[in-house]
Amino acid sequence: MRLRSPRWLNNTIGVLILITVAELIGRTGIAGRSWPPLTDVVGYLAEPVAQATVLRALTATAASAGWGLVLGIVFAAIAALLANFIPVLRPGLDRLASVLNAVPLIALAPLLITTVGRESTPAVVAALGVGFVMFVAFTAGLAGASATHQDVFSVFGSARSTTLLRLQIPVSLPTVFDGLALAAPTAILGATIGEWFGAPRGLGVLIVSAMQNYQVLLLWAAALTAALLSLAAYLIAVRLQSGAVRRFT
Amino acid sequence: MIRRSRLAGLLHLWPIVALVLLWDVWVLANGYTSIVAPRPWSVINDVVGNPDAYAIDFLWTLAISVGGLLLGMLLGTIAAVLISLWAPMSAVLTPAALIVRSVPVTVMIPIIARVFGYEVYTVLVVTVITSFFPAFVLGLSGMASAPASSRDLFVVFGSSRPASLWRLRLPYAVPNLLLALRITAPLAVLSAMLAEFLIGQQGLGYLFIVARSYMEIDRAWGTALVATMLSVFAFLAARFVERRISPRFT
Repeated sequence: MRLRSPRWLNNTIGVLILITVAELIGRTGIAGRSWPPLTDVVGYLAEPVAQATVLRALTATAASAGWGLVLGIVFAAIAALLANFIPVLRPGLDRLASVLNAVPLIALAPLLITTVGRESTPAVVAALGVGFVMFVAFTAGLAGASATHQDVFSVFGSARSTTLLRLQIPVSLPTVFDGLALAAPTAILGATIGEWFGAPRGLGVLIVSAMQNYQVLLLWAAALTAALLSLAAYLIAVRLQSGAVRRFT
Repeated sequence: MIRRSRLAGLLHLWPIVALVLLWDVWVLANGYTSIVAPRPWSVINDVVGNPDAYAIDFLWTLAISVGGLLLGMLLGTIAAVLISLWAPMSAVLTPAALIVRSVPVTVMIPIIARVFGYEVYTVLVVTVITSFFPAFVLGLSGMASAPASSRDLFVVFGSSRPASLWRLRLPYAVPNLLLALRITAPLAVLSAMLAEFLIGQQGLGYLFIVARSYMEIDRAWGTALVATMLSVFAFLAARFVERRISPRFT
């Protein structure tokens, strides 16, 4: 019988291993000058000027991603409810969702630049990415109630809206929050892709311009910030999900 | 019978028809000139009428995506096997999984471009790296999902380590690896195109930039259309493979 180390200890060790490897690659310089030691990047982020630049970009990206998340969820919910109440639309909407999910977000760029403009493109790309993911989560969740429960509701003559409110929505919540855990990083991916197409500010803009101007520390600082933003969004969604599982299953 | 299947096809395909019609109505209703937004027919005409203008870049992106996808998944699987053989390294699984789930490719591509230089093969490196992580994480968790009783059975009968890897752990990893394939296939096309957009000298992402800077609007939208079809077919092909093979392993 082998002693098992507790999970958090294991994870901390894992994170430390990865950070150490990244630091060593930077220190030894085996990946060239474009891979700085992580400590240098953190030191750079402590400088007030760099901090202000990155923070300004961070707020812009977080705002776009947040708007995209909200818009995407609202539209996905509307589409899923339509599919729920008008069953004949269902197969088409399902097919549409799986196809749209595979559309490379970059392909939407020409469409969006001409229609919504450079300022709002990040939020709209984020909304599209989120919308596809959440539609799948909503439809799967709403269809997830067991046949027995559905039968009980129909035998007692419950109205469709009552079934939706008292059965389908509560049952769907864990799946919906699962979708949210996928959608939260997607919102940031979409926002940064949108920013590549000429948004005035944001982490995506900062990363690309730092890359082109060979500002290695700024590149890494902005990239780390974007990664941490995405990670935080993901972890919050996961926390909500486990809460929903405990409450509704 | 034929009519019925046509009707079923209509039930499945109406949104795509609706999208094309909406696009046309939207262009007409807003009175956009062809510089702002072209009508669908002129874009489709450009693609169908000039296949040779798209062919090379299409095949290039297809080759890079498929090559990067397969190479990345192979390396990811190998890494998963190695780590599963050496228990202490399994600590990196959870943080690595977090990276896969959360770090957007738009953050990785500029760094990869900087580290590997603005070369043609850097685009391949980008697709390899984006395909590596899902196969690594899902492959490892698949191998770990082999039930303890089966593992005990292999131990009791004195099976060697390579034998239990080949006959027990890898088969358990197959459905997960196929899931990784389905997730990664459209992602590989997306990251290849993003990398070409940023640093490429060839491929659909590059064709898109060139068309945009010369104001060839039909060509730019045509590239988007072709890229969408490539990505959707990559997804459908991966899903087909998954549905064919996965049931044999579960």
